Amino acid sequence: MSKVLLIGSPNSGKSLLFNRLTGLHHKVANFPGITVDVSTGRLQDLPGMELIDFPGTYSLQAISADERVAVDYFERSLDDDEVSHVLCVVDATRLEKSLYFTLQVIRESARHGKPVTVLANMMDVLESHKLSLDVEQLAQALQAPVLPVSGRSGKGLKAVVGALKGEQVLPATWATGQSLEVPDEQLRITAHQLAQRFGTRGDVLIRNQTRLDGIFLHSLAGGFAFFFIMYLLFQSIFTWAAPLMDAVEYVLGTVANWVVPMIGNQTARDFTSDALFGGIGAFLVFVPQIFILTFVIGLLEDSGYMARAALICHKPLRLFGLTGKSFIPMLSGVACAIPAIYAARAIDSPRKRLLTYMAIPLMPCSARLPVYTLLIAAFIPATTGLGGLVGWQGLAMFAIYFFGMFCGLLVTALVSRTSKDHYNDLPFVLELPPYRLPSLKPLLRNCWNRSKHFVTKAGKIIFAVTVGVWVLGYFPNFGADLGTSWLGHLGHFIEPLFAPLGLDWRYGVAILSSFLAREVFVGTLGTIFGIESADEQMAPLVQHIQNSDMALGSGIALLVFFAIALQCISTLAILSKESGSSSLAVKMFAGYFLFAYAAAVAVYQFTGLFT
Amino acid sequence: MDINLWSLKSGDRCEILGYDNTLDEKYRVRLMEFGFHPGESVSCLQSLAFGAPKVYRVSNTVFSLDDEVASHVLVRITPPHE
Repeated sequence: MSKVLLIGSPNSGKSLLFNRLTGLHHKVANFPGITVDVSTGRLQDLPGMELIDFPGTYSLQAISADERVAVDYFERSLDDDEVSHVLCVVDATRLEKSLYFTLQVIRESARHGKPVTVLANMMDVLESHKLSLDVEQLAQALQAPVLPVSGRSGKGLKAVVGALKGEQVLPATWATGQSLEVPDEQLRITAHQLAQRFGTRGDVLIRNQTRLDGIFLHSLAGGFAFFFIMYLLFQSIFTWAAPLMDAVEYVLGTVANWVVPMIGNQTARDFTSDALFGGIGAFLVFVPQIFILTFVIGLLEDSGYMARAALICHKPLRLFGLTGKSFIPMLSGVACAIPAIYAARAIDSPRKRLLTYMAIPLMPCSARLPVYTLLIAAFIPATTGLGGLVGWQGLAMFAIYFFGMFCGLLVTALVSRTSKDHYNDLPFVLELPPYRLPSLKPLLRNCWNRSKHFVTKAGKIIFAVTVGVWVLGYFPNFGADLGTSWLGHLGHFIEPLFAPLGLDWRYGVAILSSFLAREVFVGTLGTIFGIESADEQMAPLVQHIQNSDMALGSGIALLVFFAIALQCISTLAILSKESGSSSLAVKMFAGYFLFAYAAAVAVYQFTGLFT
Repeated sequence: MDINLWSLKSGDRCEILGYDNTLDEKYRVRLMEFGFHPGESVSCLQSLAFGAPKVYRVSNTVFSLDDEVASHVLVRITPPHE
């Protein structure tokens, strides 16, 4: 099958063109550990040709690991005999941004004997402002055919297909090799001269953008707009996703209720009910959150607001070694770390993305809430102080939420100051793209791809661990008593580990089982104490803990432990897949466990001085 | 007097003279790719509060640069009539 490479700089409308040419029937492959996606799809009008969509890049001179992978892959593809043609997309409204890269692509393609057609995209925008581009003259100057197109309206795409159908020949200067050794510096000068000659003049194209930036970047109005948009984003994953997550659980529960009674053998029945359906539910329940957050972030990116949000947040986050683009993933982490880790893809600097990965698990996610609620209800009196102005339980909840965020920022500040991996860092030079109305279909397609990636990649790990923990808790007594199960024995075995926190084996077992999901801690503790449905009705469990003479210091130590420890298999699985490094997930798990343990011991020992 | 890009206020226009020697090579490369060439005209569209990155226009493209980068770009303020 003949292959065509599609390449262009970011915000040149390349993805929209790709979707138009392939009719959205494509698959996405991503390189492990980086955010580089390569999509492939058959051309709608030329089914015998495959279009390969490369990630947007500003030049073929890579300055980070992510860019290096993308550029290397492009150069390797040029060696592929099946590649017959290269399509290079430029933004006709902002030629100065694309021409240097275009000249590099033409030169590299010519070195490999591949013809290039330049697609001058966004011609509809130029026309709407009664502006034009002399494509014939530009083609002559570039020594490559230039076709005017519009990814948004589809205008000009027939000519692209026609060009791909026809026989491709290299322009004489490339074919004879006389232009192949032009250095980058000369290309840069040529690009600058061409941009001066063919680029649009005046501020007609950015007038609307400047007007909207006057609002969205205004000290007061911009601040309000930012908080309102972030509020909506937070609501989308915390509140709007909840009914869908409930629906997933309901459907799984209904299917389980239908299937399980048909199984005769008790062990097989328990396995199907708790391990099989429990394991599937453990990852499927996150899909609505991932889908919705990807959709909202896609809206923000495609509309152009994401870059403005990054600008607004950059200064305070830079103090902690992060970038403005870290804000949305970290905010999402307050709802759930899994969609938040996906959201970190928007961070172009690999170093800052890594630091953001480190901060996300310390954000006080919603799974911690039941644990905090239980422990605060058990140890903090439900009374008020300062004349009724301050409720101590509310203050404790605020304090533990703040503590998690503080720890996240502390970790990134420390790591950024001690690690000097500047190769993988990028400067804060952020293009502020024009405001645009997002296209719905590609956006939904992206949400689907992201959800599928989660289910197929992380789902397997989450399922396997869920089954493993079920086996430990079920055998050898076939679910009769958790305390005498292998998990219970393990709890007894590690009891000395939790003794410095004033906790016995039962809490050890609850902590071990909460590795599946933090909120499992509450249900497990309920099971051990013989309290039915403790995860739904906490009061009896709270009373049981209060009557057990457990020290206040142990309760606070547990709160601190849960605020820091990364005992969430789903987070670790997706962290491993997204970072492309299982060792990062293991190191973070071990590092945060030690940090959590040391902090919890310190808190318990410190409070012991006063009791 | 030579000043740097970061010192521009909203509405100021300037011509890029070059980069100071302390700017990392790869940052210089990226700035050049974005059109911040010596001789290029740049205007500061917005200078935000609390030291947030400033907004600059180069031709028809708008960029945001923080002080870590912009303070290394040497410029000459262009009077309004130029």
